[in-house]
Order: sequence, then structure tokens, then C-alpha cells
Amino acid sequence: MSPVLYYFLSFTGINILMCWSLYLPYRVGQLHYLTVACMLASAYFSGFAAREWSWPFALIVVVGILIGILICLIPSFAIGDAPCFTVVIIGLTIIFILKTAVENSPALGGTIGFFGIPQVNHLLPLTYLLVVYAGAVIYRIDHSRLGRAASVVFVDKNTAAALGIDVKRLGMFFQVAAGALAGLAGTLYAFLIGGLFPEFFNLGVIGTLMCMLFAGGHTTMWGVIVSVPILEGMQLLLPSAIASWRQVIYALTLIVIVLVLPGGLVTKRMLLRLKGKVSGGISKCNN
Amino acid sequence: MEIFAAQLLNGLSLGSMYVLLVLGFNLMLLVAKIIQFAYPHLVVLSMYVCWGVLRHTDNMLLVVLASVASCIVVNVAIEPIFRLLAKRHGLDINVSFVVSMSMALLITDVMSHLLNYGYPIAFPTEWVGKSIFSSGLIAFSAGQAYALFGGIAAVAAFFYLLYRTRQGRVLRAISENSLLSSIIGIPIIKTRVLSYAIAGLLGGLTAVMFARLLGSASPGLGDFVGMKVVAASILAGLGNLKGGLVCGLLLGIAESMAIGYLAGSWSNAIAFMMMLVIMLIKPEGLFGIEA
Repeated sequence: MSPVLYYFLSFTGINILMCWSLYLPYRVGQLHYLTVACMLASAYFSGFAAREWSWPFALIVVVGILIGILICLIPSFAIGDAPCFTVVIIGLTIIFILKTAVENSPALGGTIGFFGIPQVNHLLPLTYLLVVYAGAVIYRIDHSRLGRAASVVFVDKNTAAALGIDVKRLGMFFQVAAGALAGLAGTLYAFLIGGLFPEFFNLGVIGTLMCMLFAGGHTTMWGVIVSVPILEGMQLLLPSAIASWRQVIYALTLIVIVLVLPGGLVTKRMLLRLKGKVSGGISKCNN
Repeated sequence: MEIFAAQLLNGLSLGSMYVLLVLGFNLMLLVAKIIQFAYPHLVVLSMYVCWGVLRHTDNMLLVVLASVASCIVVNVAIEPIFRLLAKRHGLDINVSFVVSMSMALLITDVMSHLLNYGYPIAFPTEWVGKSIFSSGLIAFSAGQAYALFGGIAAVAAFFYLLYRTRQGRVLRAISENSLLSSIIGIPIIKTRVLSYAIAGLLGGLTAVMFARLLGSASPGLGDFVGMKVVAASILAGLGNLKGGLVCGLLLGIAESMAIGYLAGSWSNAIAFMMMLVIMLIKPEGLFGIEA
């Protein structure tokens, strides 16, 4: 496999995980940028554990996920049901604090970066195995009582509370689940890149992920599976002079999508219609 | 004690800049019902305009006019996008935040591609000004004086406009209830555009004073200031103008104290840590949400 295709597929898998980590808390109307802080923390931990302590990959993945969970769990006691922008700013603040901590830690390479993370065999199939597993779990959550409760909270928190839904605990659950996904994505990212730079984890990454989530469709988990390969592939297909403007392209795409296609490319209604057609076709065949 | 006094002066100058930004931000939130995250980025863009004009002329009036005009024009020019957004999504503050964040990314990336090859800009030393008062460690530069007294004058003018004029009453009426305001004949769209223009005016003035205070700017400055402005607004309680006044000043003082007493890049992290703790304890803000 060519390196370009390898990196394209790997980044696609990691970005799908990160987009899902934004999708889950958005089910309850929260833009949870704290997931990028989880990604940062677990990526640096994974790199350090692999290089300095020679921990096995499986153990690093588990601890990486636990770090993501922990980073999201502690603030979630306060922001489980906080307004969207409060969650946003808390996320951005923690990203900044973690970045400053990394930049001031010589053991983590400071501002220069952290290099020499050992490679892992079969990282690409492992990534997709984990993506499929995470997707299956999210699908189950979406189609459970939790998913239905989240849909009510998204529309109206007061109604949800009146129906007996514990809005705060539900928010906490989705935030922590998002942290686990971001922790996993961070670990995979560290092993894929082999070197980490604190400057990577900035508003640009959040903008890219938001663009992928909203362009694909924030009402269903399937949207990002369509949008991430398109937007990742766009970078490869565009001439390098234009590709360097990718943040501008992502930002414009996001604005246009929100204005023209508020639900994104793949919406819940579209999926229901598709499901109806398929089941209608099958019943016709059976008859 | 001298360090404390020096940093207090720094903090008041910096805080008055944050106050202006928080006021402009809150005005748009109250009247237009949007979270304009890109507002500080527009201010940084206006700083670049200042810098561009300064390369051709040292006429202060021209520089101020260019800065104010650019901020008003760009801020008013993006109003139709938010109006269209409101038509499509209703007055959904979260969606307005997503769009304004994209605008912030757009402005930052355009600045880093097209202006000064992405390198930070430095304003002439005479623009920043010499020290006008000095005693031991305490020094008060002309830039600080412009920021502090200019900031106080701008805030006073803003509150005069809002609480002592007919137009201010109209703005407050829309922020309270836009439906009732439209029933009694207040032109909603025109007044919302006016709120963008006032915020642009405040932003343009802030850009000039910020340029004199900092003496430099970079494309990334908008992200940094943007986070602080939104955080200060949340600390105050979103849309709470008087709370914004207090929290903007407090943020400036806290940041300066951290710079004075702590090592290099940790100072900002400490300022953010303090904000984080308050936001975690009181997510609805210290003075209550009014938006």
C-alpha cells in the first residue's frame, strides 16, 4: 500500500473517532471541545509510555482511553447540564492549560515536539477494528433509551426534565463516552504520526472536526462516515497551493453547509426514508 | 509592593481593553442574539489595518478612522449571514456560535496567508510611546495611558448611549423582547444592524488602543483574545453588561498579576485556571445570565 493511501485511510479512521466524540455530546446539545484535550493528553501519554517505559500497545490503548474518560469525568460533574457555550469555553480553557503544561515539560519535548514513538505493526487494520467496534457501541446507544432521551434533551431540556430524564447524568454519560473515544483516537494518532507537537492541538483542529461533523450531518452517526473521507481526500486531490488554504476551505464549507443544508449531507429523515424504501422493497420481494 | 502597583496599572490598562471587547460582544448577544466569537478576530484584523495605514502615514486621525471603518464595515457585512441563519434555524445561539467560530478560523487563516507573509507585525516604537511616568519598577507608558483613559471614555460613552439616549432605549427594548418591540413599531433589522455597527465602532477603537498597548499583533492573537473575551462574558453571566465591566477588568488585573509573579508562559495558564475554577463552580456566571 502506498504511504499516501495508508495515511489517508489512517487519518480517516482517527478523524471518524474524533468526530463521533463530538457527535455524542452534541446529541444533548453540547459542543464538547474538551475531547481535543483528551486527545492531546492520551497522545502524549501513549508516546511517553511507549518510548520511555516500553509498555505494550494494548495496555497503552486501555490507559489512553481511561485518561480520556478521567479528563472528561471530572469537569462533567459541573458541566453535565451546563449551557453549550460554557462547555465550549471550559473545553478550550483546558486545551490551553494542557498545551501550556506540555510546552513547559522538557520530558515531553516542550515546544519542539516529542519524537521517537515506536511503530506498531498492523496499525491500520487495528484502527478500523476499533472504529467498527466504537461505531457498534454508538449505534446501540443511539437506538437505546439513552439515545431517545438525548433526542428529547436536544430539543428541550425543560421538557426532558419534566419527562423524568436526568439531564445532568445523561450529559455526563455522553461527555465521558466522548472522552473515551477521544482518548482512543489520541493513542492511535500518537502511534501513527510517531511525533507530537503541542501546536497541532489548536482551534484549527476543532474547526476541521466541526466541519466534518456538520457537513456529514450532526443528527446521525453515519454522516461523518461520508464527510470525513471526502474532506480528508480533498486535501490529497487539491493542488498543494490550494490545499494550504484548507482551513479557509473547511471554514467556508461549514458556513455554507449550516446555511444551506442545516442537517448536513446525511440526515435522520433521509435514513428513515431510505430504511422505508429498503424494507418496502424487501416486503414486495417476499410477496 | 512596587511589582504589585506596576502590575495593577498594567492590569487596569489591559482590563479596560477586555471590558470594551466584552461590551461589544454582549451587545450583539443581547440585541442580535448571536455569539460572535469572531469579534476579537475582527479587532485583530483592524490592528493589521492600523499597521498598514501607519506604513504610509503617521496621521493619527487617519489611522483611527481606518481602523474604526474597517471594523464597522466587516462587522456589518457579516450581519446578513446571521440574519439568514436566524431565518433557517430560528435564533439558535449555538448555531450562531458554530458559524462565528468558522468565521474566526477564516479570518485567522486569511491573515496568516495574506498579511505580512503570516509573520507577526510590530508597530513603530513612537506609536507605542515613551514612558510618561516612572518610579522604580512602576512605569506608565503612553500606550497604557491611551488604553486606560481611552477605554474609560469609550465605556462611559457606550453606557451613556445605552441608558441616556432614545436609540439606547430601543436597543434595550429589543434585547428584552424583540416581538413586543416590533409590535410597537421598532425596526428590528435596522436596530440589529445598528448593534453590529456600534460593536464595530467599539472594536475599531479597541484595535487602535490595543495596538498602542501591545505594540505588536499576530494572526493567532484573535484566538487567544477571543477565548478570554468569551470566558469573561461567561464569568460575568452571558449578556450581563455591568458584570462584563467587572469581569473584564478583573481578568486584565489577574492576568497582569500572573505575569508579574509567575514564570513566562505559565502566567496565562494560571489566569485560565482561575477562570476555569469559577466557571466550574458557577457555570451560569457570577452576576447571572441576561441573554
